[in-house]
Amino acid sequence: MGSTFHGLEVAKRGMAVQQMALYTTGHNIANANTPGYSRQRVNFVQSEPYPPASLNRPQIPGQMGTGVEAGSIERVRDRFFDWQYRGENNKLGYWQAQADALKKMEDIMNEPSDSGLSKTMDQFWQAFQDLSANPENTGARSVVRQRGLAVVETFHYLADSLTSIQNDLANEIQVTVKSINSIAEQLYKINQQIAEVEPHGYLPNDLYDERDRLLDELSALVKIEVEPKPSGGNALKTAEGSYDVYIFDGNGQRQLLVNGNQGYQTLSVSPSASSSPEMPPGPLTGLLLGGSSIPFVASGKLKGLIEAYGYDDGSGVKGIYPDMLKKLDTLAYSFAKRFNEVHQTGYTLSPSNPGGLFFSDLTQVDGAAKAIQLSSNIDDLNNIAASSAPNEPGNGLNAIRLANVKNSNFANLQNPAPSVSYPITAGTLQAYYESMIGQLGVDTQQANRLVNNSEVLRQSVEERRQSVSGVSLDEEMTNMIRFQHAYNAAARTITTIDEMLDKIINGMGIVGR
Amino acid sequence: MMRVTQSMLTQNMLRNLSQSYERLGKIQDQLSTGKKIARPSDDPVVAIKGMAYRTNLTEVEQFKRNFSEAHNWIDASDSALNEATQVLQRIRELVVQASNDTYEQSQREHIAKEIDELKNHLVSIANTQIAGKYIFNGTDTLRPPVNLDDPVNKVSTNTEQVKIELLKGIQLPVNVNPTRVFTYSATPGQGLFSDLEALVNDLEAGKSGQELNGYLSYIDKHIDNVLAERAELGARSNRLELMEARVDEQEVIAQQILSDNEDADIERVITDLKTQESVHRAALGVGARIIQPTLLDFLR
Repeated sequence: MGSTFHGLEVAKRGMAVQQMALYTTGHNIANANTPGYSRQRVNFVQSEPYPPASLNRPQIPGQMGTGVEAGSIERVRDRFFDWQYRGENNKLGYWQAQADALKKMEDIMNEPSDSGLSKTMDQFWQAFQDLSANPENTGARSVVRQRGLAVVETFHYLADSLTSIQNDLANEIQVTVKSINSIAEQLYKINQQIAEVEPHGYLPNDLYDERDRLLDELSALVKIEVEPKPSGGNALKTAEGSYDVYIFDGNGQRQLLVNGNQGYQTLSVSPSASSSPEMPPGPLTGLLLGGSSIPFVASGKLKGLIEAYGYDDGSGVKGIYPDMLKKLDTLAYSFAKRFNEVHQTGYTLSPSNPGGLFFSDLTQVDGAAKAIQLSSNIDDLNNIAASSAPNEPGNGLNAIRLANVKNSNFANLQNPAPSVSYPITAGTLQAYYESMIGQLGVDTQQANRLVNNSEVLRQSVEERRQSVSGVSLDEEMTNMIRFQHAYNAAARTITTIDEMLDKIINGMGIVGR
Repeated sequence: MMRVTQSMLTQNMLRNLSQSYERLGKIQDQLSTGKKIARPSDDPVVAIKGMAYRTNLTEVEQFKRNFSEAHNWIDASDSALNEATQVLQRIRELVVQASNDTYEQSQREHIAKEIDELKNHLVSIANTQIAGKYIFNGTDTLRPPVNLDDPVNKVSTNTEQVKIELLKGIQLPVNVNPTRVFTYSATPGQGLFSDLEALVNDLEAGKSGQELNGYLSYIDKHIDNVLAERAELGARSNRLELMEARVDEQEVIAQQILSDNEDADIERVITDLKTQESVHRAALGVGARIIQPTLLDFLR
């Protein structure tokens, strides 16, 4: 025979567990809008039936249920979606960084417009046409000089603005590295807390959520991989353990960032910022993880920023901004050098001498866009060599030739033959600049498209994840009613048993009284 | 079955709304700038074509500017030579008069004075300037071509052409060759100014009508020289006009190509705007509706 009070115990357990479920429902509703929160569920399990198999068991027809108990409180989440989300988020981070950098570059280049380099060059060319019609006119010469100045200043402006954006990118790299380190530290601390809770048989659901949120954040910055490590002790089978977090380097090798609850590594850029608080002016040569060098990172915002800023992986400097600056230097160098060559074949106005330099001589392609200057020779307007022959003030043939420098094909330079080998080997300056802008446009278009694509993909994964883990108020309400009714019913059982007991205690053995 | 929650709906709604705003923004850009694209990445091909077409248009506009300069030269030269022809005709008349032996010496001296003045006038015609440039001195435009007081270089010998680029690679000479008109020579009949000086001297020296008559053929030859240069100028002016018509046409074409390439098709953009507007309104309407009551509102 079972105990007289067996029913009371069953009902009490039922009430306690339904109450727990109701509180969990409350927790879900309260966190309906918390980012990264996954809904939680109380796992109801039947408690051990009575009697258990044993030598002294009472002989009753069968085992009798003893009610319910809460097996555990679990969060509803699918780790596969997390993995997918982080993959897409990583791509989005990379393309977003690239698209931002390219968009800023487009803003600076400002083509096609009536104020870009192309227009300035056109006006310079026009000034020489006007000079060719009026070679002896000081006004026309003065316009040529001013337009020359405008070309020089446009080159300076473009190069300086690109460099200044490059410095901003350097700062952004620093900030990104700092936030990677901060996330690594937080992950390590959460791992520690989890490793302390789990061996006691608990599931620290809210810590899990926070850890997953941090991993989502980290995945936008670098490509990561997570490996759970069981906590040991009395941990539940469903316990997630502490996470080892790896980041992928440029060669696709994984590198340990967070070593479970043991510690974490600090990421830093190389060369490190030693002299100035800002980044080094040169390209990055690598990254240091915990003091040892790794070959950059695979994908993610950090990679996008590094590629925009410029890096040197041992085979020369690469990157969006260094490339554009280099092209601008090539353009400025070829333009100034060739222009000088043609200018020197002409003759000045008075006294009529062979033409000197128009732009001051550039010695190297590197930095030409910043170094290009009008020669001090041109301070005297008479020194503009518009004439093709000495002592012919009315001769404007050299001015026409100068005007045509913009459109002369570098594959076939004549009159005069080139004195140096040009970095531009074919096509005109105009075509070279057009291809620069075309390339920029195509790259930006591609980055924008991929930002959109990966955003859509991430969104769809996020939707599926929300579908699993998101809190639905209707569902919680339904559950609330279910739990409430079960709770009420359990209470009603107690009343019934109470009446039963009343019968036994107060109403039995009083026959005939 | 996929579980759908309120927050999923609201997130989607917000995303759709912001996409709708983005499209509206693009249409607004197109309408307010009148251009299809605002940055190269909108359409790289249109962007680089646009740069090339702009350069093309600037070139054509510049050539048009050069045309007025060329007209200036040719018109000024022509009118100067026209005047020179008239002066020479007058001199010829005077010589015909003077070769009449009924003229007395004093009358011939008057004629000599007039011819001397006309000669000086021819010098000033030869030294015509436009915008500070001597147009009858080849490329040596800063010095007067004729200076009869100079013992050696009385007239200029500069035969260089002044060329102006009027089409890509086509440079048209705009000046006349002054050494064919304004000449000075020791040989009689070879130099305009030398012949006139000799004529004046002969008139003053009281040479006979027969002798003076010889100058008529010289003067006729000089008139011929001037007319030959004017004929060439006329031909060149003709060519100039043909080229100008062509450049005018090119300008229209260049502008049209530029416009075709990058100007927004306003009718289409406005239609797009209208469509997008309805889509946006629908999105807003849906947005208002998906924030539905929950089960909570029906429980009591």
